Amino acid sequence: MDDPTTINWLQSLNALTGGLFLLATFGLVAMRQVNACLRLFIALSIFLSVSAFLLSAIYHNWHLIVVGVVDLVTKAIIIPWLLRRALRDEVYTRREITQVLNIPTSLLAALGLTVAAYILSTPLLAIGDGVTVGLNLPIGLSGLLIGGLTAAVRREAVPLFLGLLAMENSAFFAGIGVAPEMPLIAEVSIAFDVVILVFIVSVLTHAVHEHIGTTEVGELTMLKEETKS
Amino acid sequence: MLNRIIFNLIQVVVVLLFAPLVSGVLTRLKEMVQSKRGPSIFQPYRDLWKLFHKDEVISDESSWIFRFTPYLVFVVPIFVTLLIPVLTTYPLFFAFMGDMLAGGFVLSLGGFFAVLAAVDTGNPYGPMGASRTRMVSFLAEPVFMIVFFTVSFVAGSTIPYIVQQHWVTPLTNFFEPSHVLLMLAFLMLILAEGGRIPVDNPTGHFELAMIDESKSLEYSGRGFALVKWGGYMKFFVLLCIYLNVLVTPWGLAQEQTLGAVLMAIPLVLLKILCFILVLVVIESSLSKLRLFRISEFLGAAFITSVAAMITRLFAF
Amino acid sequence: MSLVLILIPLLSFVAALLSLLPLGKKFPLIITLLSGIGAFVLALLEVWRVIAEQRVVAIPGWVELDGLSAVLLLLVAFLTATAALFSWGYVGAHVQQLPRVRSYCAHFNLFTFSLLLVPILAQPALVWIAIEFTSLFSVLLVAFDNTHAALEAAWKYIALMFMGAAIALLGFFVLFWAQQKAGGGHYSWEGLRVVAAQMPPILVKTAFLLILVGLGAKVGFVPLHTWLPDAHSQAPSPVCALLSGIKTTNSLYCILRLVPLLTGDHLQTWMQIVGLISVGVAAFLLLQVRDYKRLFAYSTVEHMGIIFVAAGFGVGGNYSALLQMIGHSLTKSFCFYAAGLALLVLGTREIAAVRGLIRTSPFAGAMLLLAALAIGGAPPFAVFLSELSILHAGLEGKDYVTISLLVIFITVAFFGILLQVNRMVFGEPSIQPTGDHKKLPFACVLTLIIAAIPVLGLGFYQPASLHALLDLAASQLAPITPP
Repeated sequence: MDDPTTINWLQSLNALTGGLFLLATFGLVAMRQVNACLRLFIALSIFLSVSAFLLSAIYHNWHLIVVGVVDLVTKAIIIPWLLRRALRDEVYTRREITQVLNIPTSLLAALGLTVAAYILSTPLLAIGDGVTVGLNLPIGLSGLLIGGLTAAVRREAVPLFLGLLAMENSAFFAGIGVAPEMPLIAEVSIAFDVVILVFIVSVLTHAVHEHIGTTEVGELTMLKEETKS
Repeated sequence: MLNRIIFNLIQVVVVLLFAPLVSGVLTRLKEMVQSKRGPSIFQPYRDLWKLFHKDEVISDESSWIFRFTPYLVFVVPIFVTLLIPVLTTYPLFFAFMGDMLAGGFVLSLGGFFAVLAAVDTGNPYGPMGASRTRMVSFLAEPVFMIVFFTVSFVAGSTIPYIVQQHWVTPLTNFFEPSHVLLMLAFLMLILAEGGRIPVDNPTGHFELAMIDESKSLEYSGRGFALVKWGGYMKFFVLLCIYLNVLVTPWGLAQEQTLGAVLMAIPLVLLKILCFILVLVVIESSLSKLRLFRISEFLGAAFITSVAAMITRLFAF
Repeated sequence: MSLVLILIPLLSFVAALLSLLPLGKKFPLIITLLSGIGAFVLALLEVWRVIAEQRVVAIPGWVELDGLSAVLLLLVAFLTATAALFSWGYVGAHVQQLPRVRSYCAHFNLFTFSLLLVPILAQPALVWIAIEFTSLFSVLLVAFDNTHAALEAAWKYIALMFMGAAIALLGFFVLFWAQQKAGGGHYSWEGLRVVAAQMPPILVKTAFLLILVGLGAKVGFVPLHTWLPDAHSQAPSPVCALLSGIKTTNSLYCILRLVPLLTGDHLQTWMQIVGLISVGVAAFLLLQVRDYKRLFAYSTVEHMGIIFVAAGFGVGGNYSALLQMIGHSLTKSFCFYAAGLALLVLGTREIAAVRGLIRTSPFAGAMLLLAALAIGGAPPFAVFLSELSILHAGLEGKDYVTISLLVIFITVAFFGILLQVNRMVFGEPSIQPTGDHKKLPFACVLTLIIAAIPVLGLGFYQPASLHALLDLAASQLAPITPP
């Protein structure tokens, strides 16, 4: 199991997963429908799990298998179920999402952020040893930045929140490459923490929808300092 | 030496002969998916035969461009065929005449003249479609460039034959993230340049919505036949570049014998058939994009190709 | 091995579960109060032990208490107890429906559970989770009023909190990587200190930067502070006291834990710059608020900046930073209790609508005025002493520019706060509270008196044990590898 060709194959597959992960984060910025965003997020989580499984084979670390399974269950199954259940109307009926920047501009901004992430990772990777680290860290960092861009640009509640969840997924993606020996309890708790987050946010969004009437949270600009005449 | 010239000519003959067949099969499959019977797969040949025997009607207002363009559109894909690997993995006689960039430029030369000719006659629908075609083309240009640059950077050369070698051995190169992203970007490009759904409806007859069809609105008789055939060949050539260089660089003739080259023909046709199946699925499940969203579509293609380049540049 | 440490947050957790039992209106409030007082007593015991023994260990490497976390634990526990007491009166007067009372108490207890977890955990990833929990469990408390403004504040709050959390998560991963590169060892605050010299500087710097940005959003450093005035003013007042008083300090504690691991000449300069930006922007934004709870919220941003600047003054500044931390927590909670009482009396948050509070309700008016004086930094309150010691530390370190800017900003803020509060407190009364409003809940009054004691007392007298504790904590903030 340790021969170089197998390791080579596993690393190439991991590289492929990383490329698809990056593509999925770009897709989050580019998609106009809420349903499509949700499916992309599920794809993102699946790629994360696949990468975790591949890395556990490369590093011979069984922690990562558990991480992959937990991630698959929480992010690909439980979270979409929670979101769909709590926000049925919003997730299914919204077709067009409004946003602050139009899509080509936000795609270009996402590209710029990816380049920035790669440039920022270069000095860090000079210290790292191994191809897997060299792949997961820049992709995770760019996913983090692109997720932040999505959250800043979208006006709708659910896609904004999916952008935030993508940020956390990307941080994890970088983390499993960089720190695979992190104690298991920490990684598992992080995954469950996200589930609690989703639960609370779905309750909040439900309340926003009930009391304000729309989930276009970009329109909520009541609280600010304005000098009254 | 003589072998290589002959094989090059065989490549041209293959493209000439089988391009309408590809179009016929595609149309038939799309109709079958919609539970209709569809025309025979040899219908494009019959159409071309009929058109060559009809008179041409040319407007008085048109200039030499209108008369010259059908020949140019017909010849341009043949030029490009000389440069790309259609049947063989080793470079042929004309292979070093131009590289991938030259091929791209030559193809766009044909497109340029087609657009000019559409404006030439004074028909109001011609320029409308021509401007839309230009919009799609200029948005697709950066994607072409980036894809070619990345591919050349990866393989270390801009000659398609040499690029193709890179993906064949070793096999792990095939799964590089840059490769997968490039395949995706080029697929989106083919959909745009070939005038397929979701960019344009190739079977539409509604002039106000035409993009690619508008350039053949005014032609009749022999000119029409040449423009149609040229269109089929351009699509075939794009598919050859895509499949033989990027997606499935296997199944091409390795030895320099006539038998091997002839054996490669059905394999290439088989690959194209598989791709056509994928294309039919794409075309039948998506709907045509609104015009302003084409820029988003091509923007996504651009981003994908640049992402491919970045992952390749910074790969450790 | 003392398991008392684990018991402290467990009390709150059990109280959260018990609050859900439908046993009348008073029951959840009593449970909350009991758990708060219990946590405070136990925390006090543990802190005594730390002063004596330098550190208390429950589960080695996972649950430990050393000097710095003891300071924080003391503050959290005290604030929990007083907030629970204030909630008794406030919720009793403000909220009528029983399910909402139960929901409030359950969330409140979960919130205090997570707040109590942060100081006692020693594994940085678990600390991240605890800090995440503090944000999560307070979101629904911020949205408790279910008004448009409250929901907007809660949404902005959760969005920015989680963004910061994701960035900080990456930072903690990189920190772990740095520790592995340095030779491994247990991933805890202590373990990091042990290998600090061998960790590759670039990794540590990157981790610190990521954590500074990520947790800085939770602390309220400018420009990531936009959620703070909204969230800290829309929540019910006892929750505001906890949010402003201790939650932001928790995140700041986490950042300060990493400072000793860094090397570099410019670190102190950068810390001072980051702090000064927060102080300056907050001081000037203070001048145009229209809502007195937002006023206090901006003051929180300002004080977080002051603490960070103080920590950037080098070894001498660490002691004063901790003193400022204590003073700020106690005073800010006092401010919010006073504001809550005023809100009960007046029914409005707008400054422009209120005049002559001291005539309408003398106790509320006097408390509000005292609170404003205390948080602005007037003598003889605790904040005055701590700010004075910060200035002293700065002068010793010859950071004249920083000191002068700091003085200017603090003065601006002082005037800003006093101007608004004076306008509210003095003058002809504009709002006459009706019968129910006029009666101040006894629990709230009691809380204010209890909270006022340390605020006033620490301005005069500092117990020797507190001094010892602060010395211990300050020594942990000192850099390990001298630059």
